[in-house]
Amino acid sequence: MKKLITGNEAIAYGALAAGIKVACGYPGTPSTGAIASLLTMDLPNTHVEWSTNEKVAFDLASGVAWAGHRVLCTMKMSGVNVAYDSIISTAYSGCDGGFVIYVADDPGTNAGMCEQDSRGFALMSDMPMLEPASIEEAISLTTYAFELSEAIKGPVFVRLTTPLANGFASVEIPEPAPVSQADALLIHDINRFTKAGAVICMTQHRDLIKRLAHAGELIEQKGLNRLDLGKKKGGLGIVASGVTVQYIEEALAVADKYGIDREKISVLGLRASIPTPKQQLSQLIDFCDKILVLEELEPHIERDVYILARKRGYAGQIIGKIDGTFDRVGEYGTKHVLIGLNKALSLNIPESEYKSDTTAEELAAARPITVCSGCPHRGTYMAINRAIRKLKLKKQDVIVNGDIGCTILGMNPPFNTVWNEISMGASIGLAQGFAYAGVKTPVLATIGDSTFFHGGIPSLINAIQHEANIVLIIMDNEWTAMTGMQINPGTPCDRHEKPYKHVDIARIVPALGVEHFWQINPFDQDHATDVIAEAMQLPGVKVILSRQECAIQAFRKGSKEGKKKIVRVVEENCNLCKLCISVTGCSALVPGEKVMTIDPALCRQCGMCVSVCNRNAMVMEDVK
Amino acid sequence: MNLNIYLVGVGGQGILTIGEILSSAAMEKDLPVFFYPSKGMAQRGGFVKAQLQIGKKNVGPNIIEKGSDIVFAMETSEALKAVRFAKPGGTFLLLANFWAPTDVILGKASYPELDKVIGEIQKSGAKLVLISDKDLPEYEGKKVADNIFMLGAAMKHSVLNKLFDSADIDRIVQNRWKRASASNHFAFQAGMDYQPQLIAGE
Repeated sequence: MKKLITGNEAIAYGALAAGIKVACGYPGTPSTGAIASLLTMDLPNTHVEWSTNEKVAFDLASGVAWAGHRVLCTMKMSGVNVAYDSIISTAYSGCDGGFVIYVADDPGTNAGMCEQDSRGFALMSDMPMLEPASIEEAISLTTYAFELSEAIKGPVFVRLTTPLANGFASVEIPEPAPVSQADALLIHDINRFTKAGAVICMTQHRDLIKRLAHAGELIEQKGLNRLDLGKKKGGLGIVASGVTVQYIEEALAVADKYGIDREKISVLGLRASIPTPKQQLSQLIDFCDKILVLEELEPHIERDVYILARKRGYAGQIIGKIDGTFDRVGEYGTKHVLIGLNKALSLNIPESEYKSDTTAEELAAARPITVCSGCPHRGTYMAINRAIRKLKLKKQDVIVNGDIGCTILGMNPPFNTVWNEISMGASIGLAQGFAYAGVKTPVLATIGDSTFFHGGIPSLINAIQHEANIVLIIMDNEWTAMTGMQINPGTPCDRHEKPYKHVDIARIVPALGVEHFWQINPFDQDHATDVIAEAMQLPGVKVILSRQECAIQAFRKGSKEGKKKIVRVVEENCNLCKLCISVTGCSALVPGEKVMTIDPALCRQCGMCVSVCNRNAMVMEDVK
Repeated sequence: MNLNIYLVGVGGQGILTIGEILSSAAMEKDLPVFFYPSKGMAQRGGFVKAQLQIGKKNVGPNIIEKGSDIVFAMETSEALKAVRFAKPGGTFLLLANFWAPTDVILGKASYPELDKVIGEIQKSGAKLVLISDKDLPEYEGKKVADNIFMLGAAMKHSVLNKLFDSADIDRIVQNRWKRASASNHFAFQAGMDYQPQLIAGE
């Protein structure tokens, strides 16, 4: 059956075709779609879950693989940072069941966060990394990754980048394989499964290095990396990996117009970037006079080309990042291949073929990302800003440390509330640090619910133990929202499709021993402001739980029940001062000719404009 | 026949839906499809773009600059971000909606004049088909879906009609939302019959 699916779904189908027993991960753009799609399927013999964080997911997955069963673990590149302590350790130990870690990188940062190249992590832990060049290959290579993992007895990475992870192609969907019902293995072997002692660790390290070498042999036997030598010797050899392979043909078609000799072009298209295929690279180096390396982000393959070139006494040109032709920042496209061809072959391709003319888009209006209409976070940012004013403090003197997810959107106008962002859960530790550094004004931290479960709890415990003077505001919208509405431990049970146990932040915080703990409704501006202002004046750790369901999810639920309230503009009171827009920035507010109007399709009746208006021009009314 | 289509707008306008409908139409004809939507982070009101390539088996997901046979732009300012991807001789459909960012509404930031945007589009060498948001007809008292209307206009004024039958697209549109099939059929036909505000560069 042919279907239009994303690369993320392809990973899921490829794993099902390998008969996985468990799939787990933590949401993160662009990787989210893999687990999300599995969760929508009826899979009686496969356990699928969103875990609390990537390390939890990875540890769980290690247990499955050590017990001899097949498991898929998914994360975005930032998640690899979280899980890496465990990843390298499990790589040392190896595993019995097929263990595939799917990671999605984001060259060109479509979704924010560091533009890191996860291949570096695979290199550091001597793990093979497969890089499909198409959505079709994402299926077949994922299935193969499980075989490879079992053959070398170690975990294997599959890596996609954003265009393949989120792009759709029409592909043939494979049949799922039956899930093994074999008894779980219980191998009691401290030499393999612990790290206590130099002999144990160094032996494991040696085994690990052997496993990667073995993977290289198997990948070569399988013919995963394709070398097409040109008809004539002495031409240009192009090395590319993953999706970058797909831009070569299009660029060659352009270069045809400028007299390229196709017979002198050789191409090595990699589907396994780690380990680099030394034999095929050597063949290419021996056959060609010039080498062009096309890889996004870090020059990992290119460095190996330099090493091999040196070993083989190669004196030709190597074009890539190290010679300064390409940047280590951003994603690749056809133009990068053209630039490389032009440089290698002196084709005199005019700049207009590969140089971007951005004069038009420079005229476009700036459109900073902001919260949706009706978003409860809007109420929390407004209340923080009001509390600062209430205490007669200046905004530039009160630091509000931010965290990952929708809660960071308060960094932008009109709120300008949140100052910084590091990683999941980091706002709390940051706040503690600013307090120790001697900041005299109150130090605040904000964090979302899923982020709090993911990485915030250990930091809060630390702040409590050391009696740090901080105000923590947990902005609980009951969903992992920014990645597209995944459930987390705090999502209420009646909003789940499957039975889970609800974990309530309102019970966790007092249980940790926080003496100053409040719960607020961000849409109740007066109360929310008073509580935040009070917390800012007390010593020690203060925690405020600002709870209101994500507007998108509440609307989906509410639209089934029908609209109960409406915000109406009292026209005789409105003088179009736009105070409502300048404070709330809500997209449902549209200035009319004489008075403000409200877009009924966007308004979620949160009442924030009503609370802001000082002329009673906005009223919330019941629908009759 | 290969067809590259570039789509831009803001979240909530239904720009991705146009790409999905055309992807379905291509799949029905068993043509290879690569559809790459990118939403960024904003759920609503943020910049959205999508790239659709029909007819090529192995493609890079990003369309080469000056390589789009058809551009759909549903927001005036965001249209500027598609200009460098328009193919000289191709078709650039602009639905002149204005979704002003907050700072523009408050007079703190500028927004490009429509004439300026039209000028930039014409410089690309593509044929401009300008649709005024005020020209959208009503069906049973409600303004029709602008994305479906625009799709109808594209069927009439671009090479889309060389690849697809309008009856097929109309049917896919109607089947997609059963409850709105009559109004969407009306919107699509009205788009086909629409006399654009301006057709320039032919």
